[in-house]
Amino acid sequence: MTTTARHLDIKTILADRGLDGSGKDIWTKRLGEITEDEVKWALSRKPGYYVLDRLLILISPAAENFIEQMAQIAHRLTLQRFGKTVRLYAPLYLSNFCVNGCLYCGFSTNHQFPRIRLTVEQALADAEIIAKEGFRDLLLVSSEDKKFIGVDYMTELASKLRPKFSSLSVEIYQMSADEYAKLFAAGIEGVTLYQETYNRQTFRKYHPAGPKADYDYRLNAADSMGQGGMREIGIGALLGLDDWRLETLALAEHAHYLMKRYWKSRVSFSFPRLRPAKDVDRARFNLLSDKNLVQMLLALRLCFADAGMTISTREPAHLRDQLVKLGITRMSAGSKTNPGGYSTHADSVGQFDIDDSRSPAQIAAMLKQAGLEPVWKDWDSAFTET
Amino acid sequence: MGLLKVNGKEQIFPDNKMPATIADLLRQLGVDSTTVVAELEGQIIERKNFSTTPLHAGQNIELVRFVPGG
Amino acid sequence: MTEDKGLVIAGKKFNSRLLIGTGKFSSSKAMAQAIEAAGAEIVTIALRRVDITNKDDDMLSAIDREKYLLLPNTSGARNADEAIRLSRLARAATGINWVKLEVTPDPYYLLPDPIETLKAAEILVKEGFIVLPYINADPILSKKLQDVGTATVMPLASPIGSNQGLKTRSAIEIIIEQANVPVIVDAGLGLPSHAAEAMEMGADAVLVNTAIATAIEPAKMAEAFKLAVLAGRIAYLSGAAAESKKANASSPLTGFLRNE
Repeated sequence: MTTTARHLDIKTILADRGLDGSGKDIWTKRLGEITEDEVKWALSRKPGYYVLDRLLILISPAAENFIEQMAQIAHRLTLQRFGKTVRLYAPLYLSNFCVNGCLYCGFSTNHQFPRIRLTVEQALADAEIIAKEGFRDLLLVSSEDKKFIGVDYMTELASKLRPKFSSLSVEIYQMSADEYAKLFAAGIEGVTLYQETYNRQTFRKYHPAGPKADYDYRLNAADSMGQGGMREIGIGALLGLDDWRLETLALAEHAHYLMKRYWKSRVSFSFPRLRPAKDVDRARFNLLSDKNLVQMLLALRLCFADAGMTISTREPAHLRDQLVKLGITRMSAGSKTNPGGYSTHADSVGQFDIDDSRSPAQIAAMLKQAGLEPVWKDWDSAFTET
Repeated sequence: MGLLKVNGKEQIFPDNKMPATIADLLRQLGVDSTTVVAELEGQIIERKNFSTTPLHAGQNIELVRFVPGG
Repeated sequence: MTEDKGLVIAGKKFNSRLLIGTGKFSSSKAMAQAIEAAGAEIVTIALRRVDITNKDDDMLSAIDREKYLLLPNTSGARNADEAIRLSRLARAATGINWVKLEVTPDPYYLLPDPIETLKAAEILVKEGFIVLPYINADPILSKKLQDVGTATVMPLASPIGSNQGLKTRSAIEIIIEQANVPVIVDAGLGLPSHAAEAMEMGADAVLVNTAIATAIEPAKMAEAFKLAVLAGRIAYLSGAAAESKKANASSPLTGFLRNE
């Protein structure tokens, strides 16, 4: 059919625009040349629509002086589309065994520490505690431990969790469209997977070994999610690996492509920012300032009126309190990033340090004080069960 | 006497005037063949085959042409 | 300003973004002059049973088929089967496999049937047709048609012949935002300013028939539409500023960053 030939895939789109690292110098130069007049022009346009040139202006150094104005527009736009609500979810880590050797990660196969993986029963025990706190939106997380945390494990766990949680999503190693379809049938409706970095060279540097070393394979994951029927597709870049401004451009192109092609799925952005982790060398990375993070969030919101924006407990409490008014639509609370951390293995090793250790009740109170309603349950999978 | 249904209407032809082919029919009706499309018994007949496609009594023919339209 | 790279439909490039319909003209001469004045490259035509009792002149002989792409429409079809049949007849007649799919069971407003249109589109695309479907301004229907492989979508601005302009504006904005194929606004454009408005919104092209054919001087009106389409397109490419609304001052949201 001629149509599919006309639709470019994301790999070609990024290459054509030089956003896979091939045009790094050109984009960096262009960013530096943006003027304040251009920023004013970009801010005068109707917000919420994506145009690459406009995003370029909004994330430029020149736009840093306009952050307050961007915040006001983003706040209003988020209010219109999402109302005065923020969704709350909890992560449940299933395993810290990993076959990959990513240089930035606490769970890298090269690090020595006692590894844990949860049986389905142990995972259910953690889930029980999470549910008691009020959560109905659960994110199942695992490192690449395919032999044990495979499709069968996930579908078994999902079908047992479904009665308790109205929303199940996963953040695990990449699967095929068929596998995602199986997960969807078992009750998992969303998947989050980060490209980590869209720059091919940087990607090679940080992922020297394991299945994750394949850039293209990773890039296609979101397509597989869409093809597998996932309702929510989460993407993001690990901020600090490469230039965050260029990552934002590539991320936006990826989102735009996914929104057009998998129009029945909602695309969400996450903002994992490199933070301290056990055994990982801080000196290697370009850590982002809070201001950079805010600018990225605002610029994306101004270009994508309906995208979900998620913030985790990697970020400190005081910052998260401010971000909820700047376009964030979903946040975790009371998180444990170590498998079994809620119950059976309280001392196991976590993926990264939590910087907001407030309980869900405290987070809910904070939101209420900010004039926002915490939403524990956004959908009932009971409606789609046959 | 032969009967053909042309564009939903019955056309009666005396025996010696029965059109043998689509080309004959068009000539008899005074219709210019160059802009006409013909459908015989539900099958589309290409213009190049008008003079070789035979007609038999009782058949159904649709003659359609392009006209102005929006 | 970004340069106009031209209208590309099914891999074929066109310079003109004004498509013109040939119906309702008073004479073949008026029609031919209007087509010329419009600078159009795509011209729609219809299929009807030959009226054997009345040998009226063939208006279409006035159109130079080398110069213009004749786009047959399936007007008159009231369901998918009829539209498919008309499409096949049209292809047999011209050898061209382009078709403007129009399924209009309602003879008063001539509004298109979404279900029959989608059904016919899927079959026609499989048979190798280049399908340009005429639809109400329905964003979901547009996505579904693109999924089955139509070459464009053609949402109406207001009912055929009503000359009411962009009554379906907000819906068309969404269609344009979400489209993977060219969006051609068709039907109801009564004034050149309507056409300019559609182009300013980001439409890829417009189709005009009644407003030109029934004008007192069709050729002049055609020229006006041609200029309006050009103006609208240039405005769109140069990035028109949005209406600015007075912002309600609210308390500062990023004051916390100043401590960095």
